Amino acid sequence: MTIQFKPDETFRDEFSYSNSDAAVLRFPFPFPEDAYMYSVNIEPHVRGGPSPAFDNPFDVDEHYVAECRERAKVLEQDPSRCKVLPHMMAAEWDTLELIMESFATSYPEHFTLTRDGTSWTWENRPLGIRDSFTFGDASTLPLPPFEYITRQAQGDFTLQDQREDNLFVDGGMVTTQADWSLDFDVGMTFHQWHGPVPLAHQKGVFDRALKFLLRLQYGAPVRRLNWTMTVNPRLDTSPENYPQWGPDRLTLTPENIGRKLHLRVELQSLFRLPRSNAILFGIRCYLCSIEDLARVGVWGKRLHRVLRDLHPEIADYKGTTRYRDMAVAYLAPFDDGAELPAGTAPRQSTLAPRS
Amino acid sequence: MLVSDIKSRPVYERLGVDASGRRHLVVSDAPRPLAEVIDGADSAAAPLGYWVVAATSAVDAQPQAEPATGNAVPLERRAFRAVPHLLDRLSHRLAQETVGFRLYAVGEEGFVWNVAKLAREAGLEAAECRTAHAGSLRRRVFCVHCKTITEDVTTSLAACDGCGAHLVVRDHFSRHLAAFMGVQADAEAPGELPPVEELFP
Repeated sequence: MTIQFKPDETFRDEFSYSNSDAAVLRFPFPFPEDAYMYSVNIEPHVRGGPSPAFDNPFDVDEHYVAECRERAKVLEQDPSRCKVLPHMMAAEWDTLELIMESFATSYPEHFTLTRDGTSWTWENRPLGIRDSFTFGDASTLPLPPFEYITRQAQGDFTLQDQREDNLFVDGGMVTTQADWSLDFDVGMTFHQWHGPVPLAHQKGVFDRALKFLLRLQYGAPVRRLNWTMTVNPRLDTSPENYPQWGPDRLTLTPENIGRKLHLRVELQSLFRLPRSNAILFGIRCYLCSIEDLARVGVWGKRLHRVLRDLHPEIADYKGTTRYRDMAVAYLAPFDDGAELPAGTAPRQSTLAPRS
Repeated sequence: MLVSDIKSRPVYERLGVDASGRRHLVVSDAPRPLAEVIDGADSAAAPLGYWVVAATSAVDAQPQAEPATGNAVPLERRAFRAVPHLLDRLSHRLAQETVGFRLYAVGEEGFVWNVAKLAREAGLEAAECRTAHAGSLRRRVFCVHCKTITEDVTTSLAACDGCGAHLVVRDHFSRHLAAFMGVQADAEAPGELPPVEELFP
């Protein structure tokens, strides 16, 4: 199936980004229950599940071309958003192979990989790229292999080196992040880079997650969802550019909050890499306005309940303090209080028109 | 969240000589009695060096060997004029060291993590370089917006030496940068600043 890309939509300035009805219905809604608390919500990253976003190792959707263009803009400002420590070269090639193979298998109408020994040719038709290179020889590519391929993928990626019974974030491409800095965190251990997250340490979430990930097997990737909220469909909510996006939080009004406030969901996936034994961590970001989410009956009700009852420390960490009450008030009329089935499926196949 | 239980902030224990080491070197950013900074120095089974920053041009870093009494191993002391003087000499020493070397750093956080960074770059494992805090709690703060490091921050808010932003000093520490993270405090509402508190004397 050919994806209809929207190459000219933007994630800054006039914010022309929007979701088609089909994109709203495939949104990976993160709340299976009415209440939210941190947990090790890891499951096998296999085809199937409540959203088609889970159908492929790396999801490509209508925003693909625009997101790759946005990434290029961020890197032009700040090349340190992509940083890989020198000992990670094998993991760079592992990543290139995994993404190219996955894209070519999942979306053959858009991507083609031709391999003849170490002579490879990569065609990315949506971005108009065709390169022949020697696998394993970085001098034959226009950019280092990790940067080359992650510039052609949606979502952020980090590389975790495994040593000393720990994971070290020893590389990454991070331009669409929810307020964390690769440049600051590079080289940190698992617990160090998760340092600022409240409550979860005390609950032992990171101890259990690390134990689990140290045993992650090649060929058996896993996934989880994480979420936050973002004012305007802005991908680059980095700490680096906080002076640019921080003021957005003061622009919300009861009239515009439905269109401006977005639920930001990260589809996080983890892959053991074959040559380096490193772990590739994909952090794919989906944005949907709360107005569009409320067009799905069960989602509008559930989002209302989750936000209303959110633990104050989590609400603060996720940056929602200034506008949470306003968002809850916006969503309240969509919630009749009826009991909702567990799960995240939309339970409808069309959307009501926007009001 | 200025002083919190963020897990990236180092927790220090008192130093003790690692019995598996074959050569030991203790470095301190101020003159301190050796017994005050590390346990087991007087019963170490391998040669031990003690380098301190004396903060005066009157010293010359010449090794001063102390005569060993009884079964004790030799102790070699050196005094340096300033922290960069010590770090420069240390990088030469690290380039010559081999397996069995143990490094111990004691002092302010900026100093001990700069030492740890040199050790890591020289190929020492994390367990071969140990750190402990002594002296002022003042922090080195990395401005996440402009990448400038502002030294000697003792307050909850500090103006960045580079871009001038009023930075709130987050309790998130990078061992690579040997610095805490600074984030603009009034980014959402310019001019809306919390009161300044002396937190890191």
